[in-house]
Amino acid sequence: MSQLAPPSVRLLVCGNADRGDDGAALSAIAQLLPALPHELLERLEVRRCGHLRVEDLLDVPSGEIAVVVDAAVGITPGHVVVLPLREIVADPTAPTPRSSHELPIDQVLGLARTLRPGGLPEGSFVGIGGRRFGYGRPLSRSVRLNLGAFQAAIAAELSRITRIRVAS
Amino acid sequence: MHGGDGATRIDAPGADREFRVPYLTRVEGEGSLVLRVRDGEVVEARLKIFEAPRYFERLVVGRTPDEVLDIVARICGICPIAYQMSAVHAFEDLFGVVVDPSVRALRRLLYCGEWIQSHALHVYMLHAPDFLGYPSVLAMAADHRAVVEQGLAIKRVGNLLISTLGGRPIHPVSVRVGGFSRAPRRGEMDDLRRQLDTALDQAIATVRMVAGWGPPPLTHPQPLVALRHPDEYPYNDGRIVSTDGLDLAPQAWGDAFEELQVEGTNALHARTHGGEVYLLGPTARIALGADTLHPLAKAELDATGLADEIRVNIHRSIVARAVELLHAVAEARDLIDGYRPPAEPRVAFTPRPGVAAWSTEAPRGLLHHRYEVDEAGHVARAQIVPPTSQNQGAIEADLAAFAPTVLGLPHAQAQARLEQLIRAYDPCISCATHFLDLRIVDERRVAGGPR
Repeated sequence: MSQLAPPSVRLLVCGNADRGDDGAALSAIAQLLPALPHELLERLEVRRCGHLRVEDLLDVPSGEIAVVVDAAVGITPGHVVVLPLREIVADPTAPTPRSSHELPIDQVLGLARTLRPGGLPEGSFVGIGGRRFGYGRPLSRSVRLNLGAFQAAIAAELSRITRIRVAS
Repeated sequence: MHGGDGATRIDAPGADREFRVPYLTRVEGEGSLVLRVRDGEVVEARLKIFEAPRYFERLVVGRTPDEVLDIVARICGICPIAYQMSAVHAFEDLFGVVVDPSVRALRRLLYCGEWIQSHALHVYMLHAPDFLGYPSVLAMAADHRAVVEQGLAIKRVGNLLISTLGGRPIHPVSVRVGGFSRAPRRGEMDDLRRQLDTALDQAIATVRMVAGWGPPPLTHPQPLVALRHPDEYPYNDGRIVSTDGLDLAPQAWGDAFEELQVEGTNALHARTHGGEVYLLGPTARIALGADTLHPLAKAELDATGLADEIRVNIHRSIVARAVELLHAVAEARDLIDGYRPPAEPRVAFTPRPGVAAWSTEAPRGLLHHRYEVDEAGHVARAQIVPPTSQNQGAIEADLAAFAPTVLGLPHAQAQARLEQLIRAYDPCISCATHFLDLRIVDERRVAGGPR
């Protein structure tokens, strides 16, 4: 009995390293990637987005899963959330990725749902609540103390999608 | 130059109604706008920017010129190249750096990329919904999918230009004093060139499309200020000119203009030394330099028959922006055709103390930088004057002129018109904002209590 290959993942890493907690996703991914198993890394395409744009989601090929990683506002600083992308577009009160700049995140996701063949890509948003986003500031204590939990949530999500075990 | 006291007689019925708009969407940045009406007269129209001060002018103190280029690029995610260009030209002017002609062409090409992505974003995603009657581009996309797809396709070409030349699509890193850290190979341009061919047709279609959209009526000429170059549409070079006869070197912004602190806003305003407001951006550039547009863009502008109306009705800025979008695409194509990689992407330079100042044309208008450089080659003092802060006075003056035409309308309709007026400037309050609160306060009602 043959088994379908696990899907590939487009990891969209948002934020700016020099804007305080806006750099949380970059920090988390930089530390996490070397620790991921080789077979999972082979399934990953990592893209650095700055802020999430419609084009980033339109570019996700059919059959590939998108995982958006970013600092977020609207939740407690340091708190980690994992949400299906479809839930964010349907719920304007959902935690909002901080880095979205050109258009509000619900518009970005909504446009991708409307314009992308096959609709919004399957996938999820993994976010950590940010406290401060000023230029030249380090990560806030709230984020720094919870960066491990953020990495664990990202790893768990990647593991769930690819069905590849990740050592905790 | 002529200015205004901001007072405009209102004869429209319903002028004493109170408007409160929770926030204005589809602008970049956070701010609020208060419109005060007393005895049927607009006595105050004030754009308040409450985004926290970001202290970039202090952050660059003690930094080397190349560090400054990387720092100022972070001021804005939409127009980082403009910040880099004003800074790099200022330093090169002070240090006596002469760059290779192909480096100069590459910088124009990079600026084309920024104009393309910024103008496409505003024309299609932020401003078009106003004209087509939708609350957002998302709602618009349901009925005008092809329009939105066309906008995104053009914007992608701008993104690609920036990432190819700048090293990454946002906050590019390749611009250096003396040139670039790396010049692209000729082959890297081939895909860009193909995509620009398609974008050219789409940009022409854009001009024709937006020229057919009827704007709210407004006749309110304002003093217009832009760079003007005798041989090319202004990006990096030219003299600061105005519709009132101003003619200054790009270093000499301070000879005619000054910044001032205005109560209730975290962004400095700018005025002429005589206290007058002025307007920057596509409207001003078209009015002052249409003869230097790319021939394809000039022909399309002429075909619209709107060159005169663009000068007096800010709602027509969408046409000016679309013409500039076409110009940028057409010029980018030409620049790639003529591109020869420089022998060296960067020439050496020796810092020297003094004042480094320059102005370039950001998508939203004239962007002036001034740095005092010390003996060690580090910045001792900085002044950065973005176009949106300079346009605040013109926005307020236009609002005062426009308000009488909408205060008699039903509330929601008037609100939409006022929001549309502000969006016509493509304000980049953010390089920060998410919130623009509009209040219209009738002082007679406030004094007499609620009715």
